[in-house]
Amino acid sequence: MPVDVEHTSSPQEGAPFRKALDFFFTAADEASPGEKNPLTQPTTHLPEIIRALAEQFGEAILGVEEYAGEQTVLVEAQRIAEVCRFLKDEQGFRYLADAGGADRFADEERFEVFYNLVSFEKKKRIRLKIRVDEAALTAPTVTGVYRAANWNEREVYDMLGIRFEGHPDMRRMFMPEDFEYYPQRKEFPQLGIPGSLPLPPRTPEGPLQRDPFPTAHEGPTPKSYEEPPSQIAREA
Amino acid sequence: MVSPDARNEGFLTTRVDAVLNWARSNSLMPMPMGLACCAIEMMAFAGPKYDAARFGSEAMRFSPRQADLMIVAGWVSYKMAHAIRRVWDQMADPKWCISMGACASTGGMHRCYGVVQGCDNFLPVDVYIPGCPPRPEALLHALMDIQEKIRNEYSVTQDYAQGPVLTPEQIG
Repeated sequence: MPVDVEHTSSPQEGAPFRKALDFFFTAADEASPGEKNPLTQPTTHLPEIIRALAEQFGEAILGVEEYAGEQTVLVEAQRIAEVCRFLKDEQGFRYLADAGGADRFADEERFEVFYNLVSFEKKKRIRLKIRVDEAALTAPTVTGVYRAANWNEREVYDMLGIRFEGHPDMRRMFMPEDFEYYPQRKEFPQLGIPGSLPLPPRTPEGPLQRDPFPTAHEGPTPKSYEEPPSQIAREA
Repeated sequence: MVSPDARNEGFLTTRVDAVLNWARSNSLMPMPMGLACCAIEMMAFAGPKYDAARFGSEAMRFSPRQADLMIVAGWVSYKMAHAIRRVWDQMADPKWCISMGACASTGGMHRCYGVVQGCDNFLPVDVYIPGCPPRPEALLHALMDIQEKIRNEYSVTQDYAQGPVLTPEQIG
């Protein structure tokens, strides 16, 4: 689908983008309208950046959607790292504020991963989305661009089961390593699967099935923050 | 009671249980297992306004080997349950346990796959406190309940309320 850049841009360029944000304003905000009030700045309205993305990547930009004054760019999954690299190096989006996943159960491409990027220089925020098919369940990692994506991608893997190819440390984030399910999927029951998570024994004589302090017995386990050297470290 | 013969000589006769219970109940050292927002109320309980020192419990011990009262304050995840149990096993007997708040007692609002639905699934809890979070007064009340329980314990003499004294032959 070609990108309709003109359609997604504001009617009046440069004017404060107020259309969908009126909801958040109070009377106190009206005292300093316009450029002095940071809330009125069009931080999530990015026609120039989306135009640059469309020129650079063409067909890899699958579409732009707008909701509540926020523009979201749907990117082809295999090129997400390139898009992130372009936005970081060329457009100044140096900060990965958040990344996560969603289960669009019963939709065509079932899973979705989003990336919220922030540019301090331009005072802009952009959200990228990729779609992941249930059969493939893999997506390329962006840890080579943003090291902050490490734990976010681990969380997505833990909760939804999407593996990120090239991730330096693809382990579960919250659930135990031997847990067999992905709890944020829609088919997972809210109260869990009985017996899937062991409890300590009720009596003092019972053996502890799971050692919370393996350092006492088997030597130190690798900590999650002790990452293998990333691509960034090797380049530096 | 003061025995007549020992009067004016500085002696006092009593039961061993009475002395032990008096000492134990007035010097409970809590192990603060603070896991969530209940721990904030637990800090107020230990602080000067609510002042657990009035009950001899001002010394929070972060080492299980120096503590004899575990206060489980907050929701317990399945992963954390194993660590809590390990800490509990390291506490020296006699020891007591307070389950503070709705989450520690029943899982509370965390009715989901990752949270143990009540820490009595793996700990012998003596006193449960309702509330989300409970007021520090409620925790003080639980502490007084624990003290009351300790004062009525028998650790040396036979507890006759539990049945008749058995001879060694009867025990076999």
